[in-house]
Amino acid sequence: MKQTLGLVLTVLCGCLSAVDAQDVREAPIEPSPAMKAEFFERQVRPVLAEHCFACHGAGKQQSGLRLDSRSAVIKGGENGPVVDLRNPPASRLLKAIGYEDAELQMPPVPEGKLPAAAIAALGKWIEQGAFWPADERSPGASAGEAWKTHWSFRPIRPQPIPAVGAVDWPQSPIDGFVLAKLEAQGMQPSERAERATLIRRATFDLIGLPPSDDEVAAFVNDPVPDAFAKLVDRLLDSPHYGERWGRYWLDVARYADTKGYVRLQEERRFHYAFTYRDYVIRAFNEDLPYDRFVVEQLAADQLPPGPDNRSLAALGFLTLGRQFTGNRHDIIDDRIDVVARGLLGLTVTCARCHDHKYDPIPTADYYSLYGVFASSEEPTLPSLIGKAAADAATEAFQREFATRKQLLDDYEPKQYAALVNEFRARSADYLVKSLEGRVPPQQPLPIAAGEIRQVVVERWIEYLERIGKHHPVFGPWHAFAALKPDEFAAGAAAVIAGWTTPSGDPQPPRIQAGVKNHFIAHPPRSMADVARGYGELLGAVHQRWQSLLASTTAAGSGALERLSDAEADEVRQVLYAADSPVAVSPQEALSQYLYDAPINDEIVRRRNAINQHLAQTAVAPPRAHALIELGVPYEPRIFVRGNPTRPGRLVPRQFLEVLSHGSRKPFTMGGGRFDLAQAIVSRDNPLTARVAVNRVWAHHFGSGLVRSPSNFGLRGEVPTHPELLDYLAGRFMDEGWSIKKLHRWIMLSSVYQQASQDRADYRARDPENRLLWKMNRRRLDFEALRDALLTAAGRLDRSLGGPGIDLGSAAANRRTVYGLIDRQDLPGMLPTFDFASPDAHSPERYSTTVPQQALFLMNSPLLAELARSFAARADVTSIGNPSDRVAHMIRTAWGRAPTEGETKLSLKFIERDQTTGLPAGMLNAWEALAQTLLLANEFMYVE
Amino acid sequence: MSSSKLTGSDCAATGPARPFSRRELLSRSGMGLAALALAPMLDGEAARAAPRAGDSPGPAGPHFPGKAKRIIHLFMNGGPSQVDTFDPKPALEKYAGRELPSGNLQTERRTGAAFPSPFKFQKYGQSGIEVSELFPRVAENIDDIAVIRSMVADIPNHEPSLLLMNCGEARLPRPSMGSWLTYGLGSENQNLPGFVAMCPGGLPIQGAQNWQSGFLPGVHQGTYINTQHAEVEQLIAHIKSNLGAQRQRRQLDLLLAFNREHLDRSQNDRELESRIQSFELAYRMQSAAAEAFDVSREPQHVLDMYGSGTQARQILIARRLVERGVRFVQVWHGAQQPWDSHNDINDHAKLARECDQAIGALLKDLKQRGLLDETLVIWGGEFGRTPTVELPNPLIGNAKTNGRDHNHYGFSMWLAGGGVKGGITYGATDEFGFQAVENPMHVHDLHATILHLLGLDHERFTFPYAGRDFRLTDVHGRVVKELIA
Repeated sequence: MKQTLGLVLTVLCGCLSAVDAQDVREAPIEPSPAMKAEFFERQVRPVLAEHCFACHGAGKQQSGLRLDSRSAVIKGGENGPVVDLRNPPASRLLKAIGYEDAELQMPPVPEGKLPAAAIAALGKWIEQGAFWPADERSPGASAGEAWKTHWSFRPIRPQPIPAVGAVDWPQSPIDGFVLAKLEAQGMQPSERAERATLIRRATFDLIGLPPSDDEVAAFVNDPVPDAFAKLVDRLLDSPHYGERWGRYWLDVARYADTKGYVRLQEERRFHYAFTYRDYVIRAFNEDLPYDRFVVEQLAADQLPPGPDNRSLAALGFLTLGRQFTGNRHDIIDDRIDVVARGLLGLTVTCARCHDHKYDPIPTADYYSLYGVFASSEEPTLPSLIGKAAADAATEAFQREFATRKQLLDDYEPKQYAALVNEFRARSADYLVKSLEGRVPPQQPLPIAAGEIRQVVVERWIEYLERIGKHHPVFGPWHAFAALKPDEFAAGAAAVIAGWTTPSGDPQPPRIQAGVKNHFIAHPPRSMADVARGYGELLGAVHQRWQSLLASTTAAGSGALERLSDAEADEVRQVLYAADSPVAVSPQEALSQYLYDAPINDEIVRRRNAINQHLAQTAVAPPRAHALIELGVPYEPRIFVRGNPTRPGRLVPRQFLEVLSHGSRKPFTMGGGRFDLAQAIVSRDNPLTARVAVNRVWAHHFGSGLVRSPSNFGLRGEVPTHPELLDYLAGRFMDEGWSIKKLHRWIMLSSVYQQASQDRADYRARDPENRLLWKMNRRRLDFEALRDALLTAAGRLDRSLGGPGIDLGSAAANRRTVYGLIDRQDLPGMLPTFDFASPDAHSPERYSTTVPQQALFLMNSPLLAELARSFAARADVTSIGNPSDRVAHMIRTAWGRAPTEGETKLSLKFIERDQTTGLPAGMLNAWEALAQTLLLANEFMYVE
Repeated sequence: MSSSKLTGSDCAATGPARPFSRRELLSRSGMGLAALALAPMLDGEAARAAPRAGDSPGPAGPHFPGKAKRIIHLFMNGGPSQVDTFDPKPALEKYAGRELPSGNLQTERRTGAAFPSPFKFQKYGQSGIEVSELFPRVAENIDDIAVIRSMVADIPNHEPSLLLMNCGEARLPRPSMGSWLTYGLGSENQNLPGFVAMCPGGLPIQGAQNWQSGFLPGVHQGTYINTQHAEVEQLIAHIKSNLGAQRQRRQLDLLLAFNREHLDRSQNDRELESRIQSFELAYRMQSAAAEAFDVSREPQHVLDMYGSGTQARQILIARRLVERGVRFVQVWHGAQQPWDSHNDINDHAKLARECDQAIGALLKDLKQRGLLDETLVIWGGEFGRTPTVELPNPLIGNAKTNGRDHNHYGFSMWLAGGGVKGGITYGATDEFGFQAVENPMHVHDLHATILHLLGLDHERFTFPYAGRDFRLTDVHGRVVKELIA
């Protein structure tokens, strides 16, 4: 445990000094440190080591508690301090080992209670101030401050452009930063790459496609000095630019068109995921400022709608993750992760179970964000965006949609109302069941009528904890619950008596009259009696309200808002307020199988009928997998060790402490998504711009200035050029968060335009090219490879946007970015070629070289098909002279003229190859040559 | 490896040897370093010399010499019942049709009275371990088997339990054990995938997630083979050339010539060399894989020993694969969850008949070939079943009242070979076989033990991802030394 947070440390230090003072003042006879040490070593340490360290030591820290150093003991665990040095007998540690509380017994069964002598020894030890030999400080106490000086948490400062010796070389400020470092090492940058190389590099970089023959020729022969700047502008204006760079973002956003593993009849597709993909592509093409891009992806539903509400699709950034068979804790964890690593470069989800071991992210901060995302849900159907076309097909679609929707609307709301009313009517049963406590979550199964729904039981438990012991209705519940079971009757009598005798408290908490009277009339003998009593009260008020509703409806008078009797209405609110334990949402009722099985099946059937209809995305008006805010924001509690059955203290919905500059305030607007988005793109946040700029840099150079693009924390890499990173990040924000400008700054630098040739002496000194003494040679990623193959084959369909296509289909000629991504079953070629796993946010792609890739390129039907198309291109077959034809094919595939040797080899291959009597389906000689060109390293790499 | 000459000589000529960077290690991990001829096979001295610092992970070989080199995991998906197979519970007879005195634990569905096994048990071998009549052929090998009778998982549902058994984590996407192993140990045969998952007729529940590579490079994902097919070309994707063998050789020679010229211009670049190499590997893989999956090359007496049918064929393929150095072979009984006998436990008889002979033959065959010492065979499901009868539930359609529900509180698995003690039982369930009470062994403990058998320390075998070092066993796991010979 090498971390200790600054916050904790401060508290801890305060605590320690207070305690030390206490020791001196109050200890009646102060044993010498030597005596204390001897006592500790003989009687305390052996007990701790034998019975406690296994779960509360260096290896494990159950409940976040360590008992292997004094400071750890003083600090306590997730449930607070375990020793009370002011009042030693009240120490929780002693209660636990004394088995005083049935809920907290340590060591736990089967080991069982400690011997009396050991218990006494620990008691005495705490009375002596929990003395521990001085050489053992809390491990990591010194590391706790490390983050304060960590580069990425420091503000982004303006950076002067360094002076350099080779004054002619820099074309842009970037060059100064890079060259200064090289010169400091006595190194010089590489020469400028040739024009043919530059256009291939720039074209793949910006639009993910090879330049055409004509484009190469035009650029190579362009006499104007700013030819390259013109080229960059042309490429940035291409609609294909967004396809390339949007796809990079889809890696960040762990984009997929399916939910992952789903159970039973659940719909497995996100039918409208593609509207998010198209939103991202459009955002890049339109150069939507990055700060706005972030805000829309987190909170588009809370922004004033523009001319249309297409930006609602941006919320796919949050919603399109794996669905974990509906486990909402995991869904939220995935959303926290995509935001934290994707936008901030922080690994916040480490703090789900315990404070982050390296970065200043306490568990409390995780649950602050948890609360933000738990305050939203998806609407029943994806939200309509844009405008429906006015053609006949669309109208027919809409009519059928309305019919199917009506079928659902006729059924589900009624069943939902009946379900919630059943929960209300059966409050007694649920309260009784709640006494058994939480159980670990299981996957829900179809359920029969009348069975208790554990989800609702858990909601009751959570509700009772949440409202606290001064609640006018449930205050007595808590008073009774605190009694010991074996002295219950007497204790309850005392509690009740306390209500009628004046206490010393000038303002005793008010107790609702009905509750008071009920228990005075029926003194409970157990908590079950209490639960049944509450059940009766709640059931009665529910009945009363329902009959009142029925009679007012019959009388046709206006809607009722509350019972006229304010106290009775207080009881009614328990069942009817938005935060009621029975107020499950319709979504939850379905996903958690709360309906009786036949009803559940019927709702699913009617919903699926709509889903199947919506799946006709070609004619359906577009929709967005958006989010809406819950009526009442979720009040997050820390889940101890990440375990939702062990809720701890409440935390506000708010931003990360480490990025709040000491002025953190709870979010106020709804659940806080918009506030969160604002905090992320705040000019004072040192991470967002650095992370974004670094990602763009990495896609241009193959490696980022920070080589752990989604981890800027203490365990991440430090920047190779910190000043350059800050220069770019600062300028990026100053000039309107424009990614297209950033491309220009980078690409119009001499650094970017270097040749990629090896230099053995430099390689020996800097094998990973951290100093950028050359351009990195880069392999095409899967998308660029497939798109380039289609281009060479003359088959690329350049149309834009729309529903996803099946990449495995022979007729799939569209760009790879439009492929349907099934995260549960990715087509084999995608993982083989290092496609980003859509399971979670993907910081960067692996670059593996394995024979399975070669096998695919050699033998797959796709490659055979493309080789045939390439050889059959009209511009190829029209050339009669074999050596001219070879030259044309090489130019088409590699973007340059062949060498003499290459032509010769090719011709020899053609001549010697069998041309007649080939079995059906086999490639002929020209086709085999075409395939060979597509397999070559020259095709696969960009210089 | 002779095929690596190109790389080796070019490298020696153009630059001094240098240690691999992390990126290089990752990029090559699919082929294993052995493919490069720059480093010897990983089981040797070089493996121990290779860096294994926290932030430079890579296929750097075992931490210590492991007894097992490879694994065959026979996955009885759906959850075989322990009290009907390897954990006899005569006490159930006493309460047949009545409630257990100890009460029923909560499982996925409601269960009722004690339900004694309809299958007879008898003692086998020197060890005299009792096995039911469902697995007589397996039982003949009992003296080579360690039966674990105290397995424990977390949740009585298939999905999380499958992920737990395969990936050590019940819900979140994490690499599977086979992926960890090929990542950590590389492959012993460059011409075959290092991790093969066979399942006839479709995918098990949770699909390809059972052999996912998670945050490890995609190449470590299990290669799925639908063993319903018998033809090699249907079994393995892209194994057949579109040119014919001879013409393809000439095509690859042309490719090599192009690539060499390109490499000369580019001077030194290991990545380019490595890609050149990969085509040669792929070329050899075509014949090697076709050969490995073709059981018709086995002599008749071997085919007879394994028997007929899909299980026999895929279990025999498993032997052929481990014989050729495949690191991890997982053999699933069938699509979905065949062993999930909620309705009628007699279904177990049919399932066992399908695989018993072949599993028995596999153990004998491995032993005869001297492979059992180095091959760890694992048998089991994702959990076991209740000793009490599942109550009929019209909503689910289990009307027979002759089946058993899922049970994660205590179940049986067995291990054989690969350095495991034979002829022992480990741990015990209670009198009725409901819950592990003696030496409970969690799935994490199983994983820790398996990694140990392969020479990997489960606490040091990590991969940095999303800000921390991940392990197959997360923060759990204990090596069960009692199982190790």
